[in-house]
Amino acid sequence: MYIRAASNISPQNTFGNQPFLQELAEYTGDRLSCIEPDYKALIDPKLIRRMSRIIKMGVAAGMDCLKQAGIQIPDAIITGTAYGCLEDTNTFLSKMVQQNEEALAPTAFIQSTHNTISAQIALLLQCHQYNNTFVNGGASFENALLDAMMLLYEGEASNVLVGGIDEVTANSHAILKRMGLYRSQPVSNFELFNAPGKGTMAGEGSAFFILSKEASGADWAKIDSVSSFYKPRNTAEIKQQISIFLQSQNTNIHEIDLVITGNNGDLKNDAVYGQLQQYDFAGVPAINYKALCGEYPTSSAFAMWLAAHEIKNGTCSFVSESEEIPLKKVLIYNHYQMIHHSLILLSAC
Amino acid sequence: MDKLIADLKEQIIEQLNLQDVKPEDIGDDQPLFGDGLGLDSIDALELIVLLQQKYKVKLSNAEDGPKIFRSVRTIAEFIESNKIPNA
Repeated sequence: MYIRAASNISPQNTFGNQPFLQELAEYTGDRLSCIEPDYKALIDPKLIRRMSRIIKMGVAAGMDCLKQAGIQIPDAIITGTAYGCLEDTNTFLSKMVQQNEEALAPTAFIQSTHNTISAQIALLLQCHQYNNTFVNGGASFENALLDAMMLLYEGEASNVLVGGIDEVTANSHAILKRMGLYRSQPVSNFELFNAPGKGTMAGEGSAFFILSKEASGADWAKIDSVSSFYKPRNTAEIKQQISIFLQSQNTNIHEIDLVITGNNGDLKNDAVYGQLQQYDFAGVPAINYKALCGEYPTSSAFAMWLAAHEIKNGTCSFVSESEEIPLKKVLIYNHYQMIHHSLILLSAC
Repeated sequence: MDKLIADLKEQIIEQLNLQDVKPEDIGDDQPLFGDGLGLDSIDALELIVLLQQKYKVKLSNAEDGPKIFRSVRTIAEFIESNKIPNA
């Protein structure tokens, strides 16, 4: 399965013809917010008026991906999102309370469903093909990816548009902060790992990919396999899952050129990554990505964009400023709240 | 009536989030749906809610919708003839 195109709206300058992570955006506090493009240049203004922020982010990244790949109508549109269109949900529920459940405006309700983004892309394209949205917490993007892989391998589709999207809203941030997910004291995303503590920084993003069964000759990277597992009992089980995953791809950790892990600066969250890096991943160059995009359930889509970009470039300059490492195989290991764990293996075409 | 028409234009722009449209861009008798302002069925629902919220006026017969929502002036006439005194 080949990544033919990728597009990413994130808290960094990642959308459009930007140099690859040349100037990193710094955030101080407990939240990273997406740097959004001028949507009017990308989406029909008549349609924008009903779209909330996450819908615009999803539609713009999806449409940009299709444009890059030169595909007018994909064979399938599949998205993964844990929280869906939160702002619209919040608007609708607030109005219900404020107006005593009477005279409710329809737009926020209509747009509040999780599948709005994939549906809006289909409406824009007049695409009547397979359309699905996966809402499975921290495994939402991975399940969308697995669905795309099955469609491609079974010959049901040749080109699939797949995306992972989530947004932070004022309310969701406040609720998750009360649950202890985010830092109580302000921190810079550049210092997130130098000052580990309790909680992390909230994040959001919209990363889309065109996945194709056949190589086009200009693909970014190849996805060898995707796997997710749920609530492992202990670190030994995580290690076993990683080992089984790599074995199934006839490889081992020593053949991996780069590991991308989901460290987020929270001591409890990062303990497992620390153990793996000390023993199992020892000697393998490793980077993490959540200082760039923050923590959110579909952040692995950002990680896959990062991996695909690095593979496309052929080298990774993140590990050491003085040394660039050649890339053939990249392993992404991420978990969300120690509940959903995932592994994605990518390789050069 | 002129004040009501002016208010309605502003409220329609706000409720429907009509970007880059100013009140003076909407003619009093300009059709709101189809080739006019280009509104659609979801907008019609939003306008019904607007009349209920702001003017306490309810559309009792859905078949009257196309006639009432033809233009800003027809909406204003409907409000004037159906508003509850002192509401």
